[in-house]
Amino acid sequence: MIIMIAVMSALAPPSGVKAYDTPGDGGSSITIEWQLSPDDEDVDGYEIHRSTDNVTFEKVGFVGKGIAQTEDKTKDIERYFYRIAAVRDTARAYSPSHGPFSSSAQWFSTTMWNVLIGFIVSSFFIIFYIYRARKGRSLFIRKIAGLSAVDDAVGRATEMGKPILYSLGLGQIDAIATIASLNIVGEVAKKCAEFETKFLCPTFDPVVYTVSREIVKQSYSTVGKPDRYDPNSVFYLAASSMAYASGICGIMTRERPATNFWIGSFGAESLILAETGAAMGAIQIAGTDNVTQLPFFITACDYTLIGEELYAASAYISKEPLLLGAIKGEDFIKVIIVGLLLVGSVIGLVTKFQILSLFK
Amino acid sequence: MKKKIPLALVFIAGVSGLVAAFVPHPIVKAGDEIMRNDVLRIIQSFAFILALSSLVSVHTSKIRTRRHKWPYSIVLLASFLITSVIGLGGGVSGKGILPTQIGNFNFNIQTIYQNVIIALSTSMFALLAFYMASASYRAFRIRSFEATLLLSAAFIVMLGVLPIGDAISHHLPAFAQWILDVPNAAGQRGIAFGIALGGLATALKIVLGIERSWLGGGGA
Amino acid sequence: MKLFETLTRIDRRIIFLALGGLIIFSLLFPRFLKVRVFPPVTKLYEAIDKITPDKALILDISYGPQYQAECEPMAYTVLRHAFKNRTKVLALSLYAEYLGLAKKVLDDVIAEYNRNATSRADSLIYGRDYVFLGWQPPPIIPILGMGESIAGVYQVDYYGNQTDTLPLMKHIKNYNNVDILVALGGGTGSEKWWAQFAQRKFGLRVGAGCSAVLGADYYPYYQSGQFTGMMVGVKGAAEYEELASSRANITAERVASERMLSLTYAHLIMIAFIVIGNISYFVTRRKK
Repeated sequence: MIIMIAVMSALAPPSGVKAYDTPGDGGSSITIEWQLSPDDEDVDGYEIHRSTDNVTFEKVGFVGKGIAQTEDKTKDIERYFYRIAAVRDTARAYSPSHGPFSSSAQWFSTTMWNVLIGFIVSSFFIIFYIYRARKGRSLFIRKIAGLSAVDDAVGRATEMGKPILYSLGLGQIDAIATIASLNIVGEVAKKCAEFETKFLCPTFDPVVYTVSREIVKQSYSTVGKPDRYDPNSVFYLAASSMAYASGICGIMTRERPATNFWIGSFGAESLILAETGAAMGAIQIAGTDNVTQLPFFITACDYTLIGEELYAASAYISKEPLLLGAIKGEDFIKVIIVGLLLVGSVIGLVTKFQILSLFK
Repeated sequence: MKKKIPLALVFIAGVSGLVAAFVPHPIVKAGDEIMRNDVLRIIQSFAFILALSSLVSVHTSKIRTRRHKWPYSIVLLASFLITSVIGLGGGVSGKGILPTQIGNFNFNIQTIYQNVIIALSTSMFALLAFYMASASYRAFRIRSFEATLLLSAAFIVMLGVLPIGDAISHHLPAFAQWILDVPNAAGQRGIAFGIALGGLATALKIVLGIERSWLGGGGA
Repeated sequence: MKLFETLTRIDRRIIFLALGGLIIFSLLFPRFLKVRVFPPVTKLYEAIDKITPDKALILDISYGPQYQAECEPMAYTVLRHAFKNRTKVLALSLYAEYLGLAKKVLDDVIAEYNRNATSRADSLIYGRDYVFLGWQPPPIIPILGMGESIAGVYQVDYYGNQTDTLPLMKHIKNYNNVDILVALGGGTGSEKWWAQFAQRKFGLRVGAGCSAVLGADYYPYYQSGQFTGMMVGVKGAAEYEELASSRANITAERVASERMLSLTYAHLIMIAFIVIGNISYFVTRRKK
């Protein structure tokens, strides 16, 4: 007993307990902080005790030694008192209780300030250049080999009397690469409609199938050839990546397309598709936002759209001034990012300022 | 009107998604979760029915018109029908209304998946090794300075990851690792910046109704 | 001269035959190759080795059949290492279709361990030493939900037991009670989700195991410290096996190390064909 009392009295409690509504959240959370017990090395951890009346406390959490902060799940309408106990075996050393504290939901996540500022600045420049383009200013865009070759590729298929195969990739409808590809498939379908070239578009995702079907149908109507549209030209193939790849390989072997478009989100099957197409002697234009698949497309395809060239494609093909304006805006933001990287690198290397903390 | 309603819907959905990213309030989060979890799943379910009808339609038409290699369409439709009946009737682990076991022979959907789909997927993935060999033989020719650089990096990394690379030189694996850690990571980050910005611009153009080719029939 | 012209245009079937023949040879006459271990794998090994008895390891087995050859040896070796140290393990998968693969690995390792156990205390008992949580849709929700309560997200485990009744789950409540999570996503990208959501929001340490194709994509995460350690492809698995064998004295079959021989032959034959192609290309170009 005496030894126990001696042990208990030797254990120092934590101090400096403070609590506050967890910032930038949807409520129901209070953050509790404290200063570690001077005997932190010897404790098993810390218990968090909570009360609504500052009399009866219940244990609501436990953290390991060395940790001086935790979050407690609460009800927004209640007011709470907290105390922290340093724990060693059965011994407890309690801090004084503090409170009352209550939680509430915030209307803005304060941890996202830097993201919001970045978004506003980026959006401003994109929209600024879009509306500048609207005023009739001509905008220069460098030659993108893969996109310049689209007309030739479609022409080649027409001359050879062979179909064009267009794959939108394996992304779902919410993938940006899929949306970019949907913007391009309409333009390619229009060219196929004009030249009366057979168009094949096997799809991976059901929603992408329904959207692309409507786009292609509309493309045929736009060039005045709705009767040339084949409803079976856009079809659902498979929902498994390897099944999709093997299905397309089978289509390529049977139909022998002269031109293949691989534009969208691709995974490991990219090389299977591209290499089979190369073995068939087709001209291939690829574009994906999946950087790990780019080397395979570069190796096996004639033209590859790298990174944001894919997103610039619809603007490049259609030459619409508003779309070209957006590309100009993107380029300007890239200049800003490069400038920030250089300035930040110099500050980080030369001074003691924690530049990275601005971006956390 | 035909275009205005979809454009308005896209604008509302886009802005609400953007607001939900910055506003943690439960009212906003609840709405966002309904959109992401419930609405999207409902749309996907209905779209799946359309997609399956397309699959059946394409292959039925092939069989009817006796197009090139039409017997494979019979195989596809038969497989589709049998697997659907077994899956829907037999249940996930054979606990459905349809019996999926004859003696020791088990043919429930899980068995079909393990023994057919997994085996076929793995076989298709194995083809990558062969295609990589033929693609690299064909493409890695020293035609220019950049091609030479590409080839050298490929050689160093290919040898560096092997025990034989360590036997050739103790520095080779470390150099290969450096190529992966530094130039490769730097290049990937550069492309990632471009992709992120391109994605932002594309999303803005679609939400604001500037890019309309997804509607069919026109750019902006 | 005609020979060199032919060598610039070798039929791809000859390349396939040569590669296939060598790989079959390596499988018929297996030998395992010792590999040099690099820091990403060493850091992961040490992180798992230092897990304290009051904390658990979560193993996310989310690779599909196409990545099984690369990621399954990782799963086997990590589990053997964890169980050797009697670390508590929670296993799960973020994809329903890959649960079968996860169960297979767990069952095999448990059976292997319990074959050498002499008493109940020595054995690995379900619910006391490990739990198979199973799957909950969609992938991001369980990642976020487990920060508050693991039993809240996985109310029943894979076998239908109420999770909060299992002895292990009485002490392992949420990420505060988890030392590290090892995500074997193969090619699914789940490793990134754990880093982006669980680590960012809850400070959970994440280790990754991925296919060699995606390794390049994940190096930035390792360099920034978001991944505590990383195993990339068969080589990463072989490195982990090497550490498990040399440091933890784990004597089980080293599948990834044996596969290094096939990998070696494949790389060498590819290099050989590239060299032949380039020499022939230069000779024929010079003649022209």
